[in-house]
Amino acid sequence: MERQTINKNKRVFSAEPTKLSPSEVFTRKYTSHLVPALKKLNMDKNSPQINQLTVKHEVDMALALSAQEFAWSRFLLEKLSSSNNPTTTISSSSNGTRIPERSCKEDEDGEIEEKLRELQKLLPGGEEMNVEEMLIEIGNYIKCLELQTSALKSIVQDTT
Amino acid sequence: MMMNGGEATEAELFLNCDDMSVLERQRVQLNYHQYHHPGFEPTLPCFFPNSSKMNVGEVDSFLPSAGLDLPEIYGELHGDARISVSPGNITTEFGNSKKRKFGCVDTETKVCNEKKKMMMMMDREVAVEEEEEEKSKVTEQCTRSIMKMKNKAKKEQNSCSNDSSKVTKDSQRTDYIHVRARRGQATDSHSIAERARREKISGRMKFLQDLVPGCEKITGKAGMLDEIINYVQSLQRQVEFLSMKLATVSPRLDFNIDDIFSKEVVSAPMMNLPNTVMPPHMMVNSGYPHDMVNSGYVHFNPMQQVVTSSDPLSCFNNGQSATMWDSEVQNLYTV
Repeated sequence: MERQTINKNKRVFSAEPTKLSPSEVFTRKYTSHLVPALKKLNMDKNSPQINQLTVKHEVDMALALSAQEFAWSRFLLEKLSSSNNPTTTISSSSNGTRIPERSCKEDEDGEIEEKLRELQKLLPGGEEMNVEEMLIEIGNYIKCLELQTSALKSIVQDTT
Repeated sequence: MMMNGGEATEAELFLNCDDMSVLERQRVQLNYHQYHHPGFEPTLPCFFPNSSKMNVGEVDSFLPSAGLDLPEIYGELHGDARISVSPGNITTEFGNSKKRKFGCVDTETKVCNEKKKMMMMMDREVAVEEEEEEKSKVTEQCTRSIMKMKNKAKKEQNSCSNDSSKVTKDSQRTDYIHVRARRGQATDSHSIAERARREKISGRMKFLQDLVPGCEKITGKAGMLDEIINYVQSLQRQVEFLSMKLATVSPRLDFNIDDIFSKEVVSAPMMNLPNTVMPPHMMVNSGYPHDMVNSGYVHFNPMQQVVTSSDPLSCFNNGQSATMWDSEVQNLYTV
């Protein structure tokens, strides 16, 4: 809850209150979540090195909070808040893409299903959705990831 | 307040009570009707799963938590201060608008049941149709639209609580829908549903194809899925990398939110680059801390099969317009 109050105080409103595209809305939300959180991290920890995992945790948390209209953000939020130790969202980063075995043509469907399953693993909460939902959510997730990446880049750029 | 014989008198007592609020009165009316019109119950199975336990105070809590997936309707109901559903006996005090809403709700549940009946009839219809198909297979004309209507109706039966307006429309059309399958394709309801599902999925895939850069040439499902998986993984890796960088950089932070916003709003659409791998020396020019560049990107690039926006700053500098993935962001340009 503290995070929310901090964000409230520091929320920025645009000078021209025209309609914002969803991307803009997301980006603003994301930054307004993340930046104060990072500042707080800075202030709280007097240790010289900020834990990388903590930052990742904050990054993911900001993502989840900024995209609350999507199902996957709920799962992400649950995952983040349930685990006290910050976890990474990338579960399969070390695995890479598995190469499925292909003995005959009929396996093509199986291959596709396997890929769908893998995609499900990438999406937070993907395994609990059925395929159609998952494909929709993946689209949103990709978009939000892209926006998150650009937001992070501009934050990093701003501070270097 | 238990639902038994003495109930009715109590209800009447309530009704006669002047200082009772209108809301309470209506609740009581509802209980009354619930008891006295048992035929009423089956049409509202979802709202009142256990009428015998209903108290006046519990009506409100029942409605939202009855487990019914009718978010739109609940949105309306909640806005109206938890007015209970009683289609037969809506007092005029609440005005016409609310009457209409109740009408909707009632039709909704009625339609749900109708749809179930419809589905059973349709299955029988399909069986009949199959026989006819076998008789005159060669000369039969294929109409896809009718099939789609059935699919739509079927899907809506499965998810009948999701969209009330669609459901009511369908029920108004016909009681049962004739199905003609496409020539040379199976007609049983399972494969039709399966086909509809597949079409939906391929529609989704097409949308994703627009979203993921560099996928225009790929036609197969498997290939597309591969691309999508790679793209998501690369995005996640990027986020991880950037947060790592942020962690090292952040002690020297001097956050200025306005600056960040102004940069982002401008640069957000420029994010998506054509898939080129940026050589390390370019990053040096862009002002990244050198050690980060070398350690970060050198092992970064070989891992990625699809590289997107690996050098953000040069993309900002060049002002490359993105291979766009979102029309909304394009609007950003025009604003």
